[in-house]
Amino acid sequence: MEQFAFYVFAGVTLLAALGVVLLRNVLHAALMLGLCLLGVAGIFAQLGADFLFASQILIYVGGIAVLILFVVLLAGRASELITRQTNKLWPPAAFVCGVTFVFLLRYYRSFNGTSASSAPKPTTFALGKLLLGDLALPFELISLILLAALAGAIVFSRTEHDEEERKA
Amino acid sequence: MTLYHYLAVSAALFCIGIFGALTRRNVIGILMGIELMFNAANINLAAFNRFLHPNAVVGQSVSLFIITVAAAEVVVGLALVLAIYRNIQTIYAEDYNLLKG
Repeated sequence: MEQFAFYVFAGVTLLAALGVVLLRNVLHAALMLGLCLLGVAGIFAQLGADFLFASQILIYVGGIAVLILFVVLLAGRASELITRQTNKLWPPAAFVCGVTFVFLLRYYRSFNGTSASSAPKPTTFALGKLLLGDLALPFELISLILLAALAGAIVFSRTEHDEEERKA
Repeated sequence: MTLYHYLAVSAALFCIGIFGALTRRNVIGILMGIELMFNAANINLAAFNRFLHPNAVVGQSVSLFIITVAAAEVVVGLALVLAIYRNIQTIYAEDYNLLKG
């Protein structure tokens, strides 16, 4: 059962990722991205990372994928459906990716026999203690980064039209 | 399921992400490729956490930080893409040549 679930999630993730990269229609690619992120959430659940599973669905699927869909709808044109969506250098890029993949697999082969020694435990309590204990400083810094991103998004998406209105 | 299986999935996802980021002409497509690479790194961290240090959650907390930074990155990136699109009406990366002397 565990193996079956793993192969289902891995298959969904990788096929959807291929769709993200290869589909010509960017809207379809963005929808595939949502599916791929859901597959990754399933893999997190298999790994016993329950809090990561929840935050993956809340932040990635519910936030980032939807945001990307919005921008695709706002900044797209109909001519994209007929023009080429990949650049001319895709064969060397595919070669680089294939070589990287093969060497990563060779490197990872030493972990072939490593299996889990104990059943997974709920992680939320331990994560909360860690984030407000040993990792309190990075935790506060990350809130600063989020604030900066918020301000940056507002600054960049403001139009000159808005500024004229403000002056008037 | 051994650690190798999870690492293989993550390596495949990472390479697909690199391919997307390198070959897409569309800036939003490039951003999506980068998101795939972030997710591959997250799977790696969670898998190492589960199989090598089952009693600690440090790897998962690093994953949480990565998710947060990715969210911030994608928000700023998409705001930039929209701002550029309003000015020069294109989302293809090769047309972004305003800085060409």
